[in-house]
Amino acid sequence: MLSRVANNLFWMDRYIERSYGLLNLIKTNFNSTLDSGDYSSWNNILSIYLGIDKNQQFENYQDSLSIIKFILFDKNNANTHLNMIINARENARSVQEHISRELWLSVNKYYLHFSNTDIINKYENDDPITFVNDLLLFNHIYYSVADITQERGNAYCFMNLGKYLERVVQSIDFISVRINTMDLKNENIYESFFWKNLLISIGGYQLYLKKYKSIFGHENIIEMIALNENFPRSIKYSVNKLHIHIERLYRFNNLEDNQLLFKIGKLKNHLNYTTIENIKEEGIDAFLFYLQSELREISSIINKTFFYQIQ
Amino acid sequence: MIDNYTKYPNTWDEMFDESGKIRDTYRSFEHFLKSTPIDTINQMQDFSSQLFRDHGITFTVYNDNKGVERIFPFDVLPRIIKQSEWNVIEAGIKQRIRALNLFLRDAYHEQFIFKDGIIPRELLLNNSCFIREMTHLNVPKNIYTHISGVDLIRNNDGEFYVLEDNLRTPSGVSYMLENRQISRRLYPNLMPKSKVLPVDNYPQLLYQQLKTLVNKQNPEIVLLTPGLYNSAYYEHTTLARLMGVELVEGNDLVLDNHEVFMKTAGGLKKVDIIYRRIDDDYLDPLNFNSESVLGLAGIMEAYRQGNVVIVNAPGTGIADDKAMYVYVPDMISYYLNEEPILKNIQTYQLGKPEERDFVFKNIDEMVLKKTDGSGGYGMLMGKNATEAEINDYIKEVNKKPQKYIAQPILSLSSAPCIIDNELSPRCVDLRPFAICGADEIKVCPGGLSRVALKKNSLVVNSSQGGGSKDTWVIKN
Repeated sequence: MLSRVANNLFWMDRYIERSYGLLNLIKTNFNSTLDSGDYSSWNNILSIYLGIDKNQQFENYQDSLSIIKFILFDKNNANTHLNMIINARENARSVQEHISRELWLSVNKYYLHFSNTDIINKYENDDPITFVNDLLLFNHIYYSVADITQERGNAYCFMNLGKYLERVVQSIDFISVRINTMDLKNENIYESFFWKNLLISIGGYQLYLKKYKSIFGHENIIEMIALNENFPRSIKYSVNKLHIHIERLYRFNNLEDNQLLFKIGKLKNHLNYTTIENIKEEGIDAFLFYLQSELREISSIINKTFFYQIQ
Repeated sequence: MIDNYTKYPNTWDEMFDESGKIRDTYRSFEHFLKSTPIDTINQMQDFSSQLFRDHGITFTVYNDNKGVERIFPFDVLPRIIKQSEWNVIEAGIKQRIRALNLFLRDAYHEQFIFKDGIIPRELLLNNSCFIREMTHLNVPKNIYTHISGVDLIRNNDGEFYVLEDNLRTPSGVSYMLENRQISRRLYPNLMPKSKVLPVDNYPQLLYQQLKTLVNKQNPEIVLLTPGLYNSAYYEHTTLARLMGVELVEGNDLVLDNHEVFMKTAGGLKKVDIIYRRIDDDYLDPLNFNSESVLGLAGIMEAYRQGNVVIVNAPGTGIADDKAMYVYVPDMISYYLNEEPILKNIQTYQLGKPEERDFVFKNIDEMVLKKTDGSGGYGMLMGKNATEAEINDYIKEVNKKPQKYIAQPILSLSSAPCIIDNELSPRCVDLRPFAICGADEIKVCPGGLSRVALKKNSLVVNSSQGGGSKDTWVIKN
């Protein structure tokens, strides 16, 4: 497989995954502002996801609806939903001979749906949750179509590399920004709706209830997001997936230099032998710092191993 | 709907004969058109546009540097040709391609045809498509034009004439394939009954023909595209997908010791055959346009050393420009000692003073074209132009008359289309696709029928308001 094609497949899934994270955040944050009436919660999303720094944030936007409209539709910010879908589709368009026909059709339909000229009208006249749910459905279709139609070769592995790398980055951001910097003086955090929204935004509410019952606490959440191996958005789960796909890529392409395999295997095992107590001892900052620097290195070795020729 | 059909005057209509009766080939559509309400046909029309859009079958048009993706308008009523007529077309195209390949070989080697005075030497010397690096180079299996799209029209005498031989990188074949896919959905009953000859194996045919170019069991064939922003990008991805070959860009290729490799995730992989969809000018910045970033520097040397096959060969443009076109019948008799099966359109060369005078006197009945123009640009349609336009054009012609030719205004045949809820005639041409391999030439039965969607227009180019129809070659 061409390096350029591999790179496009990687980014196609990465954009879809990122858009998925963004849509979920929009939905739950909107929900929580309905409960709390506090619009400042958008600031985190704007800075992490859209790269807008604190001092140019949204004095002009008085309400969630207009902020969501910006996050979804702004043409000039590269990280809006619109631009992510455009990018995912451009990447798909240039690798059509490597993805299943059905997968291309599903990405193209998503793009056509969201770039339709009527779509903003629809947003303005619709309830935002319904609107975002309709979009999420396209993401779900994408994942299912990929699952049942995509051949398990190089292409599938590169797509998964993009998907899980993006997911693990999102989960780390989630812990570092939304949990770790939690304002413990904010009285809202003693309200259950706060926790509920937080967990729903990463799809972990049901699992959390099952495991920790209704005892909310940020250590439990960190444990679940970092170390639960059955939670599909946990760091551990994503790293395991990365390991599986990297191992396959080594086999498919007869690679000799095993630096990447070594790195990802080491990270996987590190997480395997880490408990929440270890994290507490070590300090959450140190734990996150370790993960971030390992992933940065893994990213750069992925580039060097598979995509270097296009740099 | 059929009763209100008003034919174009002095034009061969594909569905109705001179007396207004329906031709045999369209018998099944008579029933269809009589029994189907216009709303249903409009729905079919909408359905096909939607399908094109959903599948991303688009071409990109550039306006103010912004690319807009458009679909190529499609008319649901197919254009139908009898197999007996098709057999003539097929034989004619094969004959032309054989002669043109021999001509190209001759032009880049001994140049007998020029020495014998059949074609004036200036046409070669002044030809901007002539590539010096190709002289005395023995190309693989002596084939220059592997893939050709010969444009045909049916004149008002009912015969097919050749309008243009496209020997560089003819496009449109993906529309031939997609149009057929849509016909299948639109006419689930009519199609099987009509016994339409299949076109779907074109990609396999192409692959097999390309394979014959090298003596290797499983050669690595790639399709070289200028990239995502090229207007025919959809076609490139479709062909690569359907042939099962890699779609590469110039940046994906690299040379090592004059061999071509592609950069894959598992390292470098040797390439044997490049079906390139980029023009000669951009192929190799070392030999041609040095600004080009689309091709691969040094690829011409690899080609000269015989390490890679380039399809079509560089420099085929000398044989398909409008000045050389005039001499194709002469090539056929010179190289093959045969009578041309398909006729040329009467063409005047403005380089010759007496022909020029004749054309200027009868300019109302003429179409003037640049010999190196394409896509319907740089044309003057005598009867539609104002006096000032004609005078300006003549001024241009007089600067370099040998760069222009003229043809009598053609009457392209018309075929019925659904336009504004009515059945209405529109002019059509036909571009069948021929593939030349080491052993034989194959022509896909059918091709792309392009339609001039504007009323009374003769211009079928997609960039200027053209659309397309599926082309059915039906068994007699």
